[in-house]
Amino acid sequence: MRGRLSASGAVLVYGAGALILLFIMAPLLVVVSLSFSAAPFAVFPPRGFTLEWFGRVIADEEFQHAFIVSVSLAVAATAASFALGMPAAYALNRWKVPGAQVMEAILLSPQIFPILITGLALLQFMARAGLRDAEMNLFIGHVLITLPYLVRTITASLKLVDRSLEEAALTLGASPWRVFWLVTVPQIIPGIAAGCLFSFMISFDDFPISLWLADAQTVPLPIFLHSSMSRIFDPSIAAMSTLMILTGVLAVIGLEKLVGLRRAMGI
Amino acid sequence: MSATALPAPRGISLPSGKAVASLLMLLPGLAFLFAFLVLPSLVLLGNGFMTQHQSGDVAPPFSLANFDRLLFSPAYQRTVLLTLKVAFVTSGITLLLAYPLAMAIAYARPFFSRLTMVLVVAPLVVSVLVRSYGWQLLLGNSRTGVLNWLLEGVGLGVTPVKIMYTEWAVVVASVHVFLPLMVLPIATSLTRINPAINEAARMLGAAPWRAFLRVTLPLSIPGLTAGISIVFSLTAASYITPAMLGGTRGAMLGNLLEQQVTTAYDWAMGGAIAFLMVAIALLANFGATWLIEYRQRARRLASGAH
Repeated sequence: MRGRLSASGAVLVYGAGALILLFIMAPLLVVVSLSFSAAPFAVFPPRGFTLEWFGRVIADEEFQHAFIVSVSLAVAATAASFALGMPAAYALNRWKVPGAQVMEAILLSPQIFPILITGLALLQFMARAGLRDAEMNLFIGHVLITLPYLVRTITASLKLVDRSLEEAALTLGASPWRVFWLVTVPQIIPGIAAGCLFSFMISFDDFPISLWLADAQTVPLPIFLHSSMSRIFDPSIAAMSTLMILTGVLAVIGLEKLVGLRRAMGI
Repeated sequence: MSATALPAPRGISLPSGKAVASLLMLLPGLAFLFAFLVLPSLVLLGNGFMTQHQSGDVAPPFSLANFDRLLFSPAYQRTVLLTLKVAFVTSGITLLLAYPLAMAIAYARPFFSRLTMVLVVAPLVVSVLVRSYGWQLLLGNSRTGVLNWLLEGVGLGVTPVKIMYTEWAVVVASVHVFLPLMVLPIATSLTRINPAINEAARMLGAAPWRAFLRVTLPLSIPGLTAGISIVFSLTAASYITPAMLGGTRGAMLGNLLEQQVTTAYDWAMGGAIAFLMVAIALLANFGATWLIEYRQRARRLASGAH
């Protein structure tokens, strides 16, 4: 890390960096500051200080319901993606499977496919098949968007495992199953936990899948927030947004504690 | 470079028992994707080549009429071109902003490097919806928008800036939304550059900016290309940002698709738009992959010739 920036280069990088970081934080700071405003409209600059909007939002039954829908959807989708992705990533990494590259590309493909179209295609498909259970359709859609993230983070963790430890255990007579549980798993747990946390946030924040698949009874939080924006103009929108920002900040702290952000992001 | 120099992974060779096991482990995931992504997408994209009937059915006769309308009738063509323009401008600006941040992550002292990393990644886990709402508040056309309020405060706000509900508001917010996805691959590329190469250039008398232009920048091209393709394809496929900030003037392909399907009930046209959006995303991704591999092969050939 040392000595790779000259003095003038450092000034340039730090100066430009500081300005760009301000650009990154600005829209989030505006939203957070307005959520405490005592004015009846979400208009800058905020006036006074109140926690009233947070109280109102948290007491709102529709908000509570949307929050529960989003959390259960994110947990269920992450669990299912893990169940599908873990064995697949392991097989692709540890055994010479013919066509492994193609299969890995297929497993990661939902990432490059436009999410808006993933959701629309699923909507049309399910409607034609007569499957109109919004909860089930949302669950399937959210598995589609979280699966590639889990496959990628699990693959990255498996690649970092010290293979000589596994081989030593095998040589000393442990069964492959015991080697997996006692040698491999402890090494990949932090990476997998980080992957699950990231996958949770992908689902929790998702808009373009839920846009198509939600119905009047099953409304995830982003859809609820979006529909509230067109009929409510007081700072409770900012308060809801701040709660979502808070969830994201907690997730980032979690990632940093679990494996360090750099590793979690693959740098 | 490190990626290509690694020895091939020592996979355990595959006796028949393992073959069965690996099939069992891969099959559920692949079958799930086939049933709920591949098949439905083929049906949806196939709609584009068929005809929308009065009854609501999309069925043969097969025709290219939808694509003809999408690409050549002025109203649709405008949206196609605007989408490409917004994606192009967004990737360019994002690149300029991302590079210094990536350099800070790769080269700064550990404290600043970590701080930059946290501030860059944090917005990535905040919903695009919330970030677009933030930009709505910031860019408001009247004096209540934060930007205009600030400009007025410093005495520059004689005429309020009015970029809200234009494609420029979409560009600003898209840059913000996709910036982390450009920073991360560039930072990865930069950290993989062997510092000795840069030091050698400096010791041989290259000025810092020259060493940057001739050594660092070319070696970061894989990350740069990956970042551009990700940002370009995601911007071209975005829905919520143009919906909240673009108004009718800044509507993009995603908004046109939503409108065709939910208001016009024209699934054939919807299929054609979806086809075009998928084509743009795949072209951007495969184009970038091809470019990186082509360069690497060219460099290997060049170094082998010495």
